[in-house]
Amino acid sequence: MSKVKQNKETRSRFELKMLLETSRLLIESRETDFVLNNLLLITMGKMLVPRGAILIQVPGKNEYIITKIKGRSRLSEGDRIEIPWSPNEFDRIAIDPQKLGLNSPELFEGQNRGLYFNLKTSNHHLGYLYLSRKGNDELLSDHEIEFIESLSIISSVAIANSRMFSEMREINRKLDRKVYELNTLFDLSKDFSLMVDREKIASTFKFALLGQLLIRKFFLIYNMNGKLELMASSGLQKAPNKKQRKQIFDLPEDILELQPEHYEALPFLKENEIAALTALQLQGEKTAVVGVSKKANKEDLTRPDFNFLQSLGNLAILSIQKTLFLEERIEKEKLEEEINIAKNIQKGLFPETLPNIPNLDLAAKNIPSQQVGGDYYDIVETPDANFITAIGDVTGKGIPAALLMANLQSMLHVLLPVDITLGEATGRINNLIYENTPSDKFITFFWAKYFHAESRLKYINAGHNPPLLLRKEKNEFEELSEGGLILGAMPTLTPYEETAITLNNGDILVMYTDGVTETFNRIGEEYGEENLQKLILENRSQSAGELIDTIVQDVKNFNAGKLADDLTLIVIKAT
Amino acid sequence: MKNFHINHRQADQIDVLEISGELDAHTASKLEDSLKSLIDKNKHNIIVNCNNLEYIASAGLGVFMAYIEDVRGLGGDIKLTNMNEKVYNVFDLLGFPTLYDILDDEKEAVKQFHNRDQ
Repeated sequence: MSKVKQNKETRSRFELKMLLETSRLLIESRETDFVLNNLLLITMGKMLVPRGAILIQVPGKNEYIITKIKGRSRLSEGDRIEIPWSPNEFDRIAIDPQKLGLNSPELFEGQNRGLYFNLKTSNHHLGYLYLSRKGNDELLSDHEIEFIESLSIISSVAIANSRMFSEMREINRKLDRKVYELNTLFDLSKDFSLMVDREKIASTFKFALLGQLLIRKFFLIYNMNGKLELMASSGLQKAPNKKQRKQIFDLPEDILELQPEHYEALPFLKENEIAALTALQLQGEKTAVVGVSKKANKEDLTRPDFNFLQSLGNLAILSIQKTLFLEERIEKEKLEEEINIAKNIQKGLFPETLPNIPNLDLAAKNIPSQQVGGDYYDIVETPDANFITAIGDVTGKGIPAALLMANLQSMLHVLLPVDITLGEATGRINNLIYENTPSDKFITFFWAKYFHAESRLKYINAGHNPPLLLRKEKNEFEELSEGGLILGAMPTLTPYEETAITLNNGDILVMYTDGVTETFNRIGEEYGEENLQKLILENRSQSAGELIDTIVQDVKNFNAGKLADDLTLIVIKAT
Repeated sequence: MKNFHINHRQADQIDVLEISGELDAHTASKLEDSLKSLIDKNKHNIIVNCNNLEYIASAGLGVFMAYIEDVRGLGGDIKLTNMNEKVYNVFDLLGFPTLYDILDDEKEAVKQFHNRDQ
């Protein structure tokens, strides 16, 4: 065996071994970058080529990205170049543009004589391995080209494999993320349902969103019974003011990518790098708006990110709304309890038992329409052993009326032991009420003092429905309407004047509030004074108590069994 | 309340928060309070040692997002160390390694803070 031949065989064996080792190295690698780098370095080193590059095709174009480049060049990795021929035109893997008369891009200045090795799988062109001339300016030999071609084929398979591997890894990662997103939603739906503090819900929503979507800027504007509140935020330079909150809330429903016109109209969004907005609805009504920035790694929010934002947002506002309902219910229960207490207090303000007065048959009744009312009546003994009867009606209903009624009751009881006339006392009460209540609150008031010795009644009527006096054996009523202005309308300028009448055996005096006469039936007719008078005439022989029951029953019957307003009656019969 | 604890200590003038247990929607506010109080005291070089952290939910991750910009704006950093694999996977899945220094060991983080200051 000649030495030359032996040399050749040795070289051939060495090349085969190297090819095998290289291919194992490349095929086993799952990193495209590693494969490309090694392909370039091995070929350059083995062939003593000082300049080389890996060009990877931009899918669907004849543009190539310089993925690896070694040797001095004005181009750098990441640059793009155009290659004007199509690789499918050539059968061979190695393409020599000069030999084929093709225009090739100048990868290295003044060094145009190089070879392009087609990197392809059986049906896919991936790019080129470019190698310049050797360091000693020699061309690559046919034998060397064959070797590089083999290596190119092996590398292409390795690249395709590693690409597939990274695609799968990417898909797996996406799947993992999706699973994690679902877990987050699931966990938070449980967490939210246990929370009763809406600040805590909003803050958990914020942190979960920041963590899951990798964002730093966030706000949640919530429509709290018509008031737009900033419920949670992160990374904002300054909280949005009332006007900005309104403007943001009024933007269209969902904006995945805010546009320059939005930023122009609302610089707040630009200043805080808010990139997307979503509106959250409850039962078809816009309830909250969430704004978020791009991801902190500068990536845009994707549609799936946006979907996650909406899903979690809906969970959060549902839970927030739940806390509001809960609070409302607690509030309502508390109010009802308080009204119940008020009702009992008010009950205590009315006389528990009526004084026993010789020669008088006396009865009184109060029926509030709501739990508390604005009607007042009283029958009290005075220090001089006579007695006072009073009836009044505060404008309005409910708690405010009840408060004022309680006020009147206490004034009356404070003034009772004071030695002043009914007129003076009325003047003082009027002034106090005028000074201490809003201008739309008045009290119609009638009170009278009965003197046993002479069976006389001195009374003052301050704007109250005139009590009806039916004299024995008469069929006409007298109305006790003298006195002065309604209480609380203006300060006492002219004194309230007392009027005196005598009560004789068989006379009936009926005091009442407008709940009696101003009751309406279904067709809008008023019960009125006429009905009341007729009823009293027909039942004048009844006792005071019986007469009250008769009147109450008749008023109820008139309005299909119901009472619309507070109703108070006092009946005095002289015997 | 779930099992979550924070132990605050110093390591070479760096503040270390050792967190353990489960960091989720219910416990995130604890971590928030700790970070806030450090920032309020002008302590911006913070290491969060996750050695005994068993579980982390999105809300826990969000706390780090909410304060990193404040801390870095003041010239400091929050570095995370000693995570177990399960916890690291969650950080990794959501892209945290591109934004935060996540180191194997607390000592490395201390060294990085000191090298930076030299």
